Amino acid sequence: MAGKKTIKTNDPHIRQLAALVGGANSILYLKEDLVAYDCDGFTIHKHLPKAVVFPKNTEEVANVVKYCDENDLPFLARGAGTGLSGGAIPLNDEVIISLVKMKRLLSVDMENRRAVVEPGFVNLKLTNSISDKGYYYAPDPSSQYCCTIGGNVAENAGGAHCLKYGVTTNHILGLEVVMPNGEIIDIGKEGIADVPGYDLLGLLTGSEGTLGIVTKITVRILKNPEDKQTVLAYFDNVADGSQAVSDIISSGIVPAALEMMDKTAIEGVEAAAFPVGHPKDIEAVLLIEVDGISAGIDEQIDEILKVCRNRNVREVKVAQDEAERGRWWANRKTGFGAMGAISPDYLVQDGVIPRSKLPVVLERINQISEETGLRIANIFHAGDGNLHPLVLFDARIPGQIEKALEAGSACLKVCADVGGTITGEHGVGIEKREEMRFVFTEEEIAAQTDVREVFNPKNLLNAGKLFPSPSRCVEVKKEMKAAANS
Amino acid sequence: MDLSQDPACTTNSLSNYFSKDHPDENKWADCVHCGMCLESCPTYEITGQEQHSPRGRVHLIKSVAEGKIGLNEFFSDPVFACLDCRACTTACPADVDVGGLIEEARGQVRQAMPLTGWQGAVSKFFLKGVFPKQTRLNKLGGLLKFYQKSGMQTAVRKTGLINIMPDHLVEMESIMPEIKQPVREKYKNEKVIKAKGETKREVAFLTGCIMDVMFSDINEATINVLTRNGNDVTIPQNQGCCGALHVHAGDRDMGRKLAKENIEAFKDADKVIVNAAGCGCMLKEYPELFPDDPEWHAKAEEFSNKVEDISKHLHDTGYEKPKAELNKRITYHDACHLAHGQGIRQEPRDLLLNIPGVEMVHMPNSDRCCGSAGIYNITNPEMAGEVLENKMQNVPDDVEMISMGNPGCMLQMAIGVQKYGRNQQIVHTVQLLDWAYQKEDGKED
Repeated sequence: MAGKKTIKTNDPHIRQLAALVGGANSILYLKEDLVAYDCDGFTIHKHLPKAVVFPKNTEEVANVVKYCDENDLPFLARGAGTGLSGGAIPLNDEVIISLVKMKRLLSVDMENRRAVVEPGFVNLKLTNSISDKGYYYAPDPSSQYCCTIGGNVAENAGGAHCLKYGVTTNHILGLEVVMPNGEIIDIGKEGIADVPGYDLLGLLTGSEGTLGIVTKITVRILKNPEDKQTVLAYFDNVADGSQAVSDIISSGIVPAALEMMDKTAIEGVEAAAFPVGHPKDIEAVLLIEVDGISAGIDEQIDEILKVCRNRNVREVKVAQDEAERGRWWANRKTGFGAMGAISPDYLVQDGVIPRSKLPVVLERINQISEETGLRIANIFHAGDGNLHPLVLFDARIPGQIEKALEAGSACLKVCADVGGTITGEHGVGIEKREEMRFVFTEEEIAAQTDVREVFNPKNLLNAGKLFPSPSRCVEVKKEMKAAANS
Repeated sequence: MDLSQDPACTTNSLSNYFSKDHPDENKWADCVHCGMCLESCPTYEITGQEQHSPRGRVHLIKSVAEGKIGLNEFFSDPVFACLDCRACTTACPADVDVGGLIEEARGQVRQAMPLTGWQGAVSKFFLKGVFPKQTRLNKLGGLLKFYQKSGMQTAVRKTGLINIMPDHLVEMESIMPEIKQPVREKYKNEKVIKAKGETKREVAFLTGCIMDVMFSDINEATINVLTRNGNDVTIPQNQGCCGALHVHAGDRDMGRKLAKENIEAFKDADKVIVNAAGCGCMLKEYPELFPDDPEWHAKAEEFSNKVEDISKHLHDTGYEKPKAELNKRITYHDACHLAHGQGIRQEPRDLLLNIPGVEMVHMPNSDRCCGSAGIYNITNPEMAGEVLENKMQNVPDDVEMISMGNPGCMLQMAIGVQKYGRNQQIVHTVQLLDWAYQKEDGKED
């Protein structure tokens, strides 16, 4: 890999694309190099891309997109590839536009509390770059050590602290976007929170890379809270734990984070790299954090301790220092990866339910686990009702992938049936396309794909994601529309 | 029956690997492809490419087993571009042994495509001809010493002969420490180097190859510090190279041979003290080399439990705190094979903090690889140079010394100091402690 490489193929597209991004060192096209790009954090579907290009700036992105558009080559954008719903998997031999080389922090404006980053800039690096000045970036997906802010925008990423501070969309002030025809546009660039006209920032954020490729992002940064306290509470039954969650919220406290893990999840995190010594025989652990101005924090903690005791908590404790708080959070935030310690593969689901339904939903998930014979661990952003059932399986055993998918889908059906929805923060991607039908009618889905067509009329950009393949009536409708236009 | 309609055959055998000593399936089964390792990886930081990231490498190693790709140069490239720094094992939530997988995969690549041409010749010369044979290594040391003392070094530098050497070799030549007599030569007639004062315990000392030839003064310092603190020191004369360089290069057979020699050489020792992080880590991983050999696996287990880094040994057994002041501003670099490989981070820092007058300055990302990585800076000079550049950016400006616990890092960091016009002195942690003792005793120059 040392030195200058040369292009070893006659494929004219590869030669052209290489020229657009500065040569052979910025493109991968041999099968062996592409294998590592056949999936992202969602490993059940795998497909090789046509090529991977590494543009260094907006113009290179735009030129690649324009070339793909003119030559009808499918393409998609990829950040760190940590997405959990398959949004960056090349289903149609796409040219992957990897944005990891665009990883600069362009500017920080303390006075107006905003920062401008390139899409490949890693989430946690933003907080690390400004923490000495007393500021931070609030959205904190558990993958924040490595996921990119561009990917966060595509997925409208959430995180443990979104209960109080909101998800990514609440922190985006402006975007530079390369449209699917290669045109470069700015949305809300001045960083004014609310501009007249339609909320295009809201539309782009969470569009899962189907409407455009974000190349510059203006985000809101926040002043560090003056004080912070963290509580760990162990419960002998799930109903008590979830009732405690509801009681905390209804007492008027808005915790910065309110997390729950069940017994199987605890087994996983304790067997993995960051154990903290949770008792093995408890049914639920709550991790609760309150932050804000110092005055009143102690009272909130007292109230939380009281609520937990009223709900028969076995043990409850307050983090004694930053190091202890750090250990508790590392244990929780590495929870998904930790499943590797107790299972070769896992499928994570991302349902949202009304908090009050948690005991009944967990009971039904237990039944699904028994029916399919697969273990299911639950990690839960309890405060905002965002449930992550982790279906544990072994892809080497024939039939287990299918079973895992079935179990995952059944979990989402349960969430939808109790009045919830199928994704809180991981996106639909490939994984939950079909489950969109649990929450939308065909007409509602068609209305959304009509919006996509305005931006992405040829559907070359990240096709096959976010929505189920159209059913017959929609296709007929489209054919009629096409006939009418011609 | 129309067989053409059946799905293509899928297999979970280790199809494209040689059956002998293949990568351990259970190691990659722990990886769920979450990506938490990405930012810890220096080669991913530089390339941004998945196949040069830990999870990407694991994915490729698995793909060979699944028959998706072959054991060829495109597989070899990412597997050999790994620094083997083990930062990913620290970052991984599921404790995936990426380092072990990489070494096993390298063994497979070398079985499939033995090195040929000059690379093969160089590798054979050093790995088979020099490192395993102490006398030859000492001769090489002698040659280097001759090179320095005879005026040849001056001549080479003045005549421009140096201009025809590759850049990275010029860099190395320029920082070569002054070669002194190896301790294994010096103490070869002493069965035991007695503790000063009361003997509290007996330890055996692995002198290392590079360490003893290039940095025999550090070995001397190690012996001083050990004997001062109640340790009788033996230097088994039949010990050899630890084999780390061979295992990193994919020569697992040679690794096993050397491992057996050392296990035999130290069989009477209760404790094996090491002052080179890379060697210490290798010795602790000897059992990994014998997955199919229960007898040697058991011996290796017993041996590896006896191995201890000098800083941890002093920290755990207690040592005399120096009284003389060393008024120095020092920053500490975590050698990968101490921090990530052996989990030793605080012990060496404590040694330094306990020297009166020492002021410790924090180095950001102190556990990021420097690019030395065994002989990586010779085999992959370009990548090693970029890794070094990133490292040097984190070295604080206003320190006088950079302390660490591994000879490879010391050479690499010395190159960094020279190349980027810095002026820090590169020291081994144990040297500082020895200097403080010497000053206390009034021996200091």
